[in-house]
Amino acid sequence: MIVAEQKPLPEIRRMISPYERVLILGCGTCMTVCDAGGEREVSFLHNALRVAQSKGGNEAHHFLESTLKRQCEPEFLEMLVDKVGEVDVILSLGCGIGVQAIAERFPDTPVLPGVNTSFMGISSEQGVWDERCAACGDCRLEDTAGICPVTRCTKGILNGPCAGTKNGKCEANKDMDCAWVLIYKRLERLGQLEKMRRYYPMRNFRAIPRPKRLVRTPVALGEDDG
Amino acid sequence: MYPSVSGNIQKYVVHRIGMPSRDRSFVPPCQATCPLHMDIREYVDLVAQGRIMEALQVIRGGNPFPSICAYICTHPCEESCRRSQVDKPIAIRALKRFALEFGGDRMIQVEARTAHSEKVAIVGSGPAGMACAYYLRNFGYPVTIFEAHSELGGMLRVGIPRYRLPRDVLDVEIQRLTRMGVEIRTNTRVVSLDLLFDMGYKAVFVTIGAHQSLRMGIEGEDSPGVIDGATFLREVNLGLKPSLGDNVAVVGGGNVALDAARTVLRLGARKVTILYRRSQAEMPADPAEVEQALEEGVHIQFLVMPTRIKRQDGKLNMTCIRMELGEPDASGRRRPVPVEGSEFNEEFDTLISAIGQAPQTPGDFRVRIGRGSTIQVDPATLSTNRRGVFAGGDAVTGPATVVEALAAGRLAASRIDDYLQHRYPSLDKGGRETLVGDLLPETVEMIRKIGRIEAPLLPAEARIKEFEPIELVYDWEAAVNEARRCLRCGMGAEILFQDKCATCLTCLRVCPYHVPYLDTMGTIQIPADQCQACGVCIAECPAKAIVLRKPYDRRHVTEELDHVLKSASESKVSPLIIGFCCQYGLFGTGTLANLWRVAKAGIWIVPVLCIAKVEADHLLRAFEIGAEGVFVAGCGEQCARENTVAWVHNRVQKARKVLSEIGLEPNRLQTYVPSATNAYPAEWLDGFVEQIGGLYLASVIMKEVKVDSR
Amino acid sequence: MANALFEEKLHSDEFLVTTEIGPPKGVDVSEMIHHIDILKDKVDAINVTDHQSSVMRFPSLGGCLLVKECGGEPILQMTCRDRNRLALQADLLLAYSRSIVNVLCLTGDSIDVGDHKEAKPVFDSDSVQLLKMIRTLESGKDVSGNDLKGVPKFCLGASVHPEADLIEPQLIKFEKKVAAGAQFFQTQGIFDLASLRRFMQYASQFDIKILAGIIVLASARMAKYMNDNVPGIIVPEAIIDELASVEKGKGLQKGIEIAAKLIRTIKEENLSHGIHIMAVGNESVVPDILEAAEVEVARH
Ligand SMILES: Cc1cc2nc3c(=O)[nH]c(=O)nc-3n(C[C@H](O)[C@H](O)[C@H](O)COP(=O)(O)OP(=O)(O)OC[C@H]3O[C@@H](n4cnc5c(N)ncnc54)[C@H](O)[C@@H]3O)c2cc1C
Ligand code: SF4
Ligand code: SF4
Repeated sequence: MIVAEQKPLPEIRRMISPYERVLILGCGTCMTVCDAGGEREVSFLHNALRVAQSKGGNEAHHFLESTLKRQCEPEFLEMLVDKVGEVDVILSLGCGIGVQAIAERFPDTPVLPGVNTSFMGISSEQGVWDERCAACGDCRLEDTAGICPVTRCTKGILNGPCAGTKNGKCEANKDMDCAWVLIYKRLERLGQLEKMRRYYPMRNFRAIPRPKRLVRTPVALGEDDG
Repeated sequence: MYPSVSGNIQKYVVHRIGMPSRDRSFVPPCQATCPLHMDIREYVDLVAQGRIMEALQVIRGGNPFPSICAYICTHPCEESCRRSQVDKPIAIRALKRFALEFGGDRMIQVEARTAHSEKVAIVGSGPAGMACAYYLRNFGYPVTIFEAHSELGGMLRVGIPRYRLPRDVLDVEIQRLTRMGVEIRTNTRVVSLDLLFDMGYKAVFVTIGAHQSLRMGIEGEDSPGVIDGATFLREVNLGLKPSLGDNVAVVGGGNVALDAARTVLRLGARKVTILYRRSQAEMPADPAEVEQALEEGVHIQFLVMPTRIKRQDGKLNMTCIRMELGEPDASGRRRPVPVEGSEFNEEFDTLISAIGQAPQTPGDFRVRIGRGSTIQVDPATLSTNRRGVFAGGDAVTGPATVVEALAAGRLAASRIDDYLQHRYPSLDKGGRETLVGDLLPETVEMIRKIGRIEAPLLPAEARIKEFEPIELVYDWEAAVNEARRCLRCGMGAEILFQDKCATCLTCLRVCPYHVPYLDTMGTIQIPADQCQACGVCIAECPAKAIVLRKPYDRRHVTEELDHVLKSASESKVSPLIIGFCCQYGLFGTGTLANLWRVAKAGIWIVPVLCIAKVEADHLLRAFEIGAEGVFVAGCGEQCARENTVAWVHNRVQKARKVLSEIGLEPNRLQTYVPSATNAYPAEWLDGFVEQIGGLYLASVIMKEVKVDSR
Repeated sequence: MANALFEEKLHSDEFLVTTEIGPPKGVDVSEMIHHIDILKDKVDAINVTDHQSSVMRFPSLGGCLLVKECGGEPILQMTCRDRNRLALQADLLLAYSRSIVNVLCLTGDSIDVGDHKEAKPVFDSDSVQLLKMIRTLESGKDVSGNDLKGVPKFCLGASVHPEADLIEPQLIKFEKKVAAGAQFFQTQGIFDLASLRRFMQYASQFDIKILAGIIVLASARMAKYMNDNVPGIIVPEAIIDELASVEKGKGLQKGIEIAAKLIRTIKEENLSHGIHIMAVGNESVVPDILEAAEVEVARH
């Protein structure tokens, strides 16, 4: 799941200030799940902007609300065609992908990012999200007991913990588990400590060149059944 | 009350009534068991909110003579109430009585206009007959009630003792019937239905009750000093004072036996003993009443049956035999079997036999009679084998209950209407789904346990002195607190927009009662029979996919807010302060009632059904529309739920962040929860108002300064 | 080029003494030069730290050049935090060309503990990979397998943390460093000699030299601060109490005593092959410590 955080209200107000008619556009998938841009947040932001406007602000915006199931699919964006004509700007509460999808689909309408897309992660408890994968394109989880050192170790190092680990926590943040302690403990539990003893060379940052593209090569008809 | 407040409520009422509703809630167990299918959940909730007039309207809408039920209904609803899985059932009957008395039921006038020419005759004026008359008049038919006795009411008049059902209550209902234009012929025993048809009646409803006492079938039963229960009660109720002597026995274990015994006490007998052939567990009488009878000094001997009566020297010498319980019989109760050689003798002055009654239908009625001398009918239409002749109540069921009789009367009215209008009987299609199934243990565990508040009773010594009503009515506080215990079964949350649902699992995680679950397809489900309608998930769902099942509850906060905003904008008092206050306990319980009362001009209260339902959006809207200060006031300790305030705090925090981001003081938005240290809402409110007043003044001055400097 | 002085000493049985100097934040290196001057003859080699605690400073390579110019023996501390493999290799080539051949290979502190928290953490490699990288250069190739013109040769060190609260993964990494070519290890600050003893019992099986890290504490406050903020450091309560017990202004003196006592015991009981003194800002007291500990480095 992609996790994001809504931008601070002042930043959003500054971004939309040149425009009169603003479409606040939510996204019904990841952004809903991470409480950053689902229908509720769209409506909350709308209300917040209106309070700002009524309480002393000099703005005079007109707002429109809408939430698509996913902003990152062209077919869903088609549903906006009529609305886009009525507004001066789209304030997208989708992740960075959504924002760019909109930019591609509506070349004449400015689009603004309403959230800071942060990472891919899991919800560890209600209202708490943790990064878990960096989409590095060269997955190491086999050797690290299913715990990603690239993402969860601040240094992303591959050959074991640095000396900064204390009480199982990371030197960068006392509330954050040291990934390598986790990996060590789990490997030990799985009886696979030899994986940690192995030397891992430097990562290949060209595993997939950026920007990455994934092409699923279709299996030619009939190929399977010989 | 301030104009804001009273205006509020009036519009509220009007609004509610005219509202088209597509109710997707489920039928709760109480309603499903009620023979009248009364919307108990609704009126209990209205009582909890202090909206007594509306509660009364709901009650009257579902029951032709609620005041009678309020006293003596056997309340099967309470037996099925799911709250008993948590602690004790809701005291539904007592709440109904409260709503009627405090809502001013006696003042309510019922009117009817004649719209049809077909006359209908009703034979018998018990609850079944009265109910049928009531509804037929409502439909616009000319109705005549024929009653053998001198007064109307059937068993309500001649059976049930006055200390349980005051006669003025019955009289008010009968007056209403007369006002509605029901023609009444007392002292008129109908012997032939043909006669009625000859008189021009197009349909007849036979509701002659079950007044013929069953015989014990033992030697000496006809001796002087032996009397049957129904006759005894009738005589007392019609003002006679039968001489009983000092030591009286009552045989039987039902309502009639109990009432007879307690009546005997009130007539001054020294000792009264009930002889019942099974044990206490099998007694058909209401356990609460058995309890009361024991308190009053009635003796009960269980597992005893009289076998012979001999009259000697002005006394009754009675031979009894002890019984033991054997295999269950057809009624599911264990069959009593005599214990051989356990006979014993006892002496009494009077013996009242109350082992049951059966209908006694005049042969000339020519209606088919079935088991237990009851009249046979088609249960769906209540029609007998004779064209145009319908029957219902005890005459059809055998001795049953008032509420069943009322339901039969109501059904008969509709079916007679169908019959007279030549319609295919509009059979009950069953609207909403009925809630089945118990609460899950994990849900039960999370529900706050709150003891049932019983309506007060007169002390036992005072009770037996006379025939005054023994049960008193709740006060506001007790009623509201009792009503708040209702679990609002089946009207809770549902995922209205499955396609919006992102399966984020928020509901599953936030539900205090562990209600939502993931089915095997990975779809989230909120089972209607478990949801407690707290609304937490609704306010938290990031996709806004969840709503309350009842359309009104769904829109409640928003509509209330709109309404307040409208009135507030008309009033132009500044600074404007808006408070979202828990409506439950508003009138009944000190704190909120206080808040409401002390609300000064400029303070507008948006009543909400538990502050857990106030969303962060609502708070911002209040500011947007011009509020200078906003507060959320919960009910603290009285809350039926745990931890409501934590949720509110979260949302308040979220809205406060916005306030500070746009340069408003975050303390313009506050939460008030009464607690031991913070028990005076008036004080708190004064403080808040002062604070907001200060901020307001400062902002006005700032504006002027700005204007000046231009 | 002849074998460096320090590498030679590694092969001897001498009790080795190293210390470290933190370069200044800025271009005024006079104090640093002063420190080099007073230390260069008292120790076997001087580490120059590489943006220690991720605080931006004059670079360690520049510092090493100064040590060289002043006639000292530098150890270049090299972390992976700020340079990718191109920059690391390039710096190593420069170092070698200026006769800077002792390299302490470190992963580097997290960016989050320093004064440029918003910077991009590089960590293209880790300490083990850096050791390997250098050994690769010594084979005449860069890490992408291209030939080098002229082949460098280094003396490689690494760090180890014998007092880590979870020692096993540290030992695994230690062995990887040994396997990758580390010749000497400077440990993190040691306060508890029992843990050093346990560690040495294990480490003595490898053909490497261990220099026990000695931190000079100047006050109880500093000790507490380090416990909370400096990665990996654990100052025991007893030592904090000892520091706190002295009157104000005498903290450093106490710190010197504590350090000297540690060193003396280490030497007497043969607990390591040498020591590495980290005076953290009080470099000028290092000679005092050595004197108090009665340690003198062999002159050649
Ligand atoms: C002592 C006692 C206590 C009870 N307590 C309760 C209680 O607490 N709660 C409860 O729910 N139920 C109670 N019941 C039961 C309840 O009263 C009856 O189920 C209910 O009254 C039945 O109503 P009905 O209209 O069918 O008949 P009834 O109320 O019996 O009315 C029948 C009427 O028809 C009249 N009649 C009969 N034949 C003719 C004729 N040929 N012509 C004209 N009129 C005729 C009778 O005089 C009578 O007035 C009690 C019953 C008794 C006897
Ligand atoms: S808890 Fe309320 S809704 Fe549920 S059965 Fe009881 S009275 Fe009815
Ligand atoms: S309304 Fe309350 S009880 Fe019902 S599912 Fe939602 S959170 Fe649970």
